[in-house]
Amino acid sequence: MRKYSFIGPIVLIAVWAIVARLHLVDSFFLPDPFETISELGRLLIKGSIIPDLLATLGRVMISFMIALVIGLPLGLWLGRSEKLYRSFEFIIDFFRSTPATAMFPLFLLVFGVTDTSKIAVAAFSSMLIIVFNTAYGVMHAKKSRVLAAKIMGATKAQIFRWILFWESLPQTFIGLRSSVSLSLVVIVVTEMFIGTPTGIGRRIIDSQITYEIKTMYAAILLAGIIGYLLNLLLLAFEKKVLHWNGK
Amino acid sequence: MTKAVAVNNLRKSFNQTEVFQDFSLDIEEGKITAIFGPNGSGKSTLLNILSGIIPKDGGNYHIENFNHFQFSYIFQNYRESLLPWRTNFENVALPLQIQGKTKSEIKERVEKLQKLFEFKINWDHYPYELSGGQQQIVAFMRALITEPNVLFIDEPFSALDYENNLRLREHLQKYYLTFKPTILLITHNIEEAVHLADKIVVLSKKPTQTLETIENPLPYPRSLQSLKTEQFHQVKDKVLTAFQKAANL
Repeated sequence: MRKYSFIGPIVLIAVWAIVARLHLVDSFFLPDPFETISELGRLLIKGSIIPDLLATLGRVMISFMIALVIGLPLGLWLGRSEKLYRSFEFIIDFFRSTPATAMFPLFLLVFGVTDTSKIAVAAFSSMLIIVFNTAYGVMHAKKSRVLAAKIMGATKAQIFRWILFWESLPQTFIGLRSSVSLSLVVIVVTEMFIGTPTGIGRRIIDSQITYEIKTMYAAILLAGIIGYLLNLLLLAFEKKVLHWNGK
Repeated sequence: MTKAVAVNNLRKSFNQTEVFQDFSLDIEEGKITAIFGPNGSGKSTLLNILSGIIPKDGGNYHIENFNHFQFSYIFQNYRESLLPWRTNFENVALPLQIQGKTKSEIKERVEKLQKLFEFKINWDHYPYELSGGQQQIVAFMRALITEPNVLFIDEPFSALDYENNLRLREHLQKYYLTFKPTILLITHNIEEAVHLADKIVVLSKKPTQTLETIENPLPYPRSLQSLKTEQFHQVKDKVLTAFQKAANL
């Protein structure tokens, strides 16, 4: 099955190449894919995009970690009682549905024009996704296993630790993967605003302003590659932890 | 007789359908009692009420010296009751872990039961790597590891092929003869009931009543050979006759 996963990227590059080479779009706005890839390679080898890459990756990792450290216990706690979750459901769903970037100016007011405000807004929005998914995982745990443990005389704490926590993991991992993607989106967008000289978002907007279109595409491509690899990394971790899922 | 379980005038209905209306039943201590009856006669409902999973509407019941740590219930759906994230060993050990037993004690107890069952699988593997029959044996061992005084079993053999079915019956008998718990066994299968039980209680259709209680004097251990004896067939015929009445066949 693995060999099929190469079809997607090949099709994407082929379509891109056809559109570019037939000049269906002005080549100023859409450079050739191979030129873009070699531009990205050049930027990486030369090292000029490395600080942007590291800055973005660092912000994403920090905001994801904050989201995880707060969101996971919170989700587990809220999921323990349906009443409790329903009481907080509106707040979670409201902020989850509000575009995170719309709140960025608010975070700028609170945290100032610093890295902190970017990380905070990304952490906040991705935390909600972790909370929501984890709580759902706990609430929708198979009742039969909980029942079996109850009959064995398990305490609430034991049921939580040995059954509910594990039952919630598949849904939690779905949350983690969406959350890391959202972190990246929010970080890249906020980098385009103000307050930082580095970051892939900064690089994209700067090269757009100065009409370095090839660099712009290379930076977009890099952002995509980072997002994809982060997802892949979590997926590999998930496979290891959840080897039993669906069996 | 010493009663292990007593049910008096139990009432239970679901959406206006009366399952039990003044239902009474006594279960003798240290015996295997099979409950046999047509579909929908409330056999599983009875076990669920007795074990506190669902509430009764009226009447009362009593399990002598009831204690969660000395009570086990083997569900029909073993696939959903085993924990897939735990190894086979950890699954069997779960009830002891809940009771706060030490690691060495758990190991000792599991090994003792493994010997009794003579069941060879890789204990460090996971339930999903086992066949359905093997999973059911693990579920059995998990229920028996606490050496319960009272054991409820809900159609444990229905998902098994005949060979594994016979093997599990043999294991259960062996366990029973060693520890002499009170066993309440629900089954659809006359042969299973007569093979294992001291007493076979035949239930009617809803609202459920006890139609007949048939004593089964066949001596234990009951080998496969005993399934072919005249005495076995006599008991089986009695149960069948009672069942015919129950199901209006």
